[in-house]
Amino acid sequence: MSKIEFISPEGLRVDGRRPQEVRKINYRLNLFSRADGSAYYEQGNTRVLAAVYGPRQVTRRGASKHDRAIINCEYSMATFSTGERRKSAKRDRRSTEISVVIRQTFESVILTHLYPRTQIDIFMQVLQADGGTRCACINAASLALIDAGIPMRDFVVSCAAGMIDGVALTDLNYIEDSAGGPDLPLAILPKQNKICLLQMDSKLTIEQYEEVMQMAVEGCKQIHAVLDAKLKDVTDQLVNKRKTLL
Amino acid sequence: MSESDVVTPGTRIGSVDTHISGRGTYTRDGRICASVVGRVVTKDVPNQDKKIIEVESKQETTVPQIGSIVLATVVKTTTQFAKVDITCVEGKALETTFMGMIRQQDVRATEIDKVVIYESFRPGDVVRAVVISLGDSKSYYLSTARNELGVVFGTSMAGQTLVPVSWKEMECPKTHLRELRKVAKTI
Repeated sequence: MSKIEFISPEGLRVDGRRPQEVRKINYRLNLFSRADGSAYYEQGNTRVLAAVYGPRQVTRRGASKHDRAIINCEYSMATFSTGERRKSAKRDRRSTEISVVIRQTFESVILTHLYPRTQIDIFMQVLQADGGTRCACINAASLALIDAGIPMRDFVVSCAAGMIDGVALTDLNYIEDSAGGPDLPLAILPKQNKICLLQMDSKLTIEQYEEVMQMAVEGCKQIHAVLDAKLKDVTDQLVNKRKTLL
Repeated sequence: MSESDVVTPGTRIGSVDTHISGRGTYTRDGRICASVVGRVVTKDVPNQDKKIIEVESKQETTVPQIGSIVLATVVKTTTQFAKVDITCVEGKALETTFMGMIRQQDVRATEIDKVVIYESFRPGDVVRAVVISLGDSKSYYLSTARNELGVVFGTSMAGQTLVPVSWKEMECPKTHLRELRKVAKTI
């Protein structure tokens, strides 16, 4: 059986990256006029859309909280996002789990106490899946929330890391993801150095775990640097064009 | 942190020892941090040596809070209350409306047990009111029990814009028919 060579003798990965290198990131804000905030985010070949509505009146009766806003998240994958077309990817086990995980992430970050009795809806759709979709969705949602002007404690960024053939790798793509090694999605608050999401399903030794964890943190920091720099740039341009942000 | 710098959420912009946390900021461990993307602005406060530090952002979402003056459209009236849609909070238009309720006892300050809702508001009227409580799970409770609160815009049976004549009457300019309303005193 011929095995794919995940790490070349030169130490490069299948797509030519070094182990600690994240994929190319690009994003755009404010795509939709109906949503309060929206973002298109691409990380390598993974492409996602996020739209934020709210704070608005609670739609489900009895769900509203008198002292804070409630957050709704919906993660879905477009039928054409994967190699083989799927009939309907909506509301399956996996997307429900990811929706809950993302909701919990943002519940700890958004200053919900400012908007009692309202709800904030975050919708995310994967347009093209190439590994790391849940991390890409968190980044896209984070940008969409910023675009909507919803106050947050910090700029959440997320990145996954894994280990193949004993080498820790950051930001796995689909081929590396399907190698069956451990996958560790992580979301951090970069300015406060806090973790707000950490998942891992597989077993790792403490030493390997530390290594993978370090890789994920590095990936998050790289992504944060790119997102933050571009965001400041875009906002600066807006300020210069309009002289004011209001 | 200098003025007019663009900051992102989580950036430390000052300390509570030197500044007061304003809009678009929050405090954590004695530090003031930005909560939105925008420019840092400091403002002087009269008779205080600390300055207010704010982050001026692109758009701000407002929600009704206790004590805020709102504009609302009457949707439905019953003998007990008038149901309204809050469309404007403190002079800022909302993206989506919030449901509100003006109960019989909150229409005016005096003779509150003699209030007849239908002689105070009609569906379609625009009312200026104050939020008195967050109310039940569905709607905010509003009150018009002040001179400057009440109907600010209404249409007559003939479809004309009503003109206020007293604190409880409005007149149609076409038919000169007087209709009963809890009229807001123009300030």
